[in-house]
Amino acid sequence: MAYISLTAVHKTYPNGYCALKNINLDIQAGQFIAVLGPSGAGKSTLLRAMNALDPATQGEITIDGVTLNKKNYRKIRAHVGMVFQQFNLVDRLNVMTNVLVGRLAEHSWLSSLFYLFPKTDYQIAEAALREVDLLDKAWSRADKLSGGQQQRVGIARALAQQPKLILADEPIASLDPKSSEEVLKLLRKICSEKGITVIVNLHQVEYAKQFADRIIALNAGSLVFDGSPEQLTKAKQAEIYGTTYEETSHDAELVLAYT
Amino acid sequence: MSIKTLPSRPHNLFPLWLSLALALLWLIIWDLDVAFQDLVYGIADMGEYLSRYGAPNLSNMSSYLHLMIQTLVTAFWGTTLAFIMAATIAPYAARQLTPNPFIYRIARELLNFMRAMPDLLLALIFVSSMGLGPLPGVLALAVHTAGFLGKFFAENMERVPAGKYEALSAVGAGFTQKIVFAAWPSMLRESVGNVLYIFDRNVRMAAVLGLVGAGGIGLELHDALRLFKYNQASALIIIILLTIIVIDNLSSWIRKVLN
Repeated sequence: MAYISLTAVHKTYPNGYCALKNINLDIQAGQFIAVLGPSGAGKSTLLRAMNALDPATQGEITIDGVTLNKKNYRKIRAHVGMVFQQFNLVDRLNVMTNVLVGRLAEHSWLSSLFYLFPKTDYQIAEAALREVDLLDKAWSRADKLSGGQQQRVGIARALAQQPKLILADEPIASLDPKSSEEVLKLLRKICSEKGITVIVNLHQVEYAKQFADRIIALNAGSLVFDGSPEQLTKAKQAEIYGTTYEETSHDAELVLAYT
Repeated sequence: MSIKTLPSRPHNLFPLWLSLALALLWLIIWDLDVAFQDLVYGIADMGEYLSRYGAPNLSNMSSYLHLMIQTLVTAFWGTTLAFIMAATIAPYAARQLTPNPFIYRIARELLNFMRAMPDLLLALIFVSSMGLGPLPGVLALAVHTAGFLGKFFAENMERVPAGKYEALSAVGAGFTQKIVFAAWPSMLRESVGNVLYIFDRNVRMAAVLGLVGAGGIGLELHDALRLFKYNQASALIIIILLTIIVIDNLSSWIRKVLN
């Protein structure tokens, strides 16, 4: 059985904008999936539906045999890591605390009130920092790090959740080419070595072909391509981006708000 | 869409509004019968009156200092209680954190209500119900300024980028954990500034609250003025002034250190 399965998933925002239209998708455990598509195609919405940050308005999403519903959002999120374009670290706290945030779901609000974490959490966080090769920065403030380093802290935070799935929403869109490649290599390594399923939203077709096991493409909320990197020919790429370019750009402002 | 001719210039209504505002102002002055010549005659009288304060009588210094310290303590505890109340209510009055719109409305209105109750009035109520002394002063300051602090905190919380809260949601963190790990560290600097401002304000207000019997240096000043003991009054005013100058410098120093 598939690790993640989406059945007839629709997402309509309160303003009537339809971001996902009838998405059916099965994803096997341990794969590295790249999601392509022009801005506003629904890539972010797709990822954010999977951990219910933006719950789907119709259809069913099942992760590891558990179907998402209002009551189990927090439980599901606890073991689904998320990596953001803007990193979303807490700037004023040190790197270690930012990674420990990944452990919060396991603790009561009372111990969190005093920033208390058990020793075992520190060991988990240390292992996560070793994985992303940032042990030397453990006690630096998060906002003193470079963009690439901050994104690696973001990945360490996701790893601290001991996830089976990591969702990365345009993780390299704010990074320079060198850091971009480092971050993708790191995600690929995590996927291959730990068997964690990784789903990455990307704008760069080349990176998708280089790193992914499987590529999915969205356009205007619909699934327009699903296959291996080899199957993504130049003609297919044009189909995903080129021919429908006019259609997606005439309401550019609307589109920007959801990227 | 492209057009070939320059659209007609939008109307600038500023001169109209300005002249209307000036006309209204003149109408108010005319209606209130404000006579500016009275002000000129008054200056001489005011000079004579102020000269009575010329020789401050410092013989009661130790008792004045004691009263000043009592005033400071009143302001301190008033601010502390206000902080606790404000920090508890503020998350419910911040859009990104509030559990639902109804609670948001209630929390906002509660803060508005506390702010709308003048602290002198509150002090009168508490003095009548609890008797004379600094405690009713503390409570009056606490309730009134919790309204201000709560509004400041709620607005600071709303200014924190949505992504910081999303990152916490994505790891499965709960309400309190979002406040502790996303809101407070991100808004620490502004909030310290807000608390220092409120403390500064409470010191000044606590010096006045004595007038209604809520302890502190205000009552002594009130008595001295009523008995025409101008020399004692001027000694008291000097102490209050010096204290406020010290507090003001201290709080700007703390803010500088924190930045």
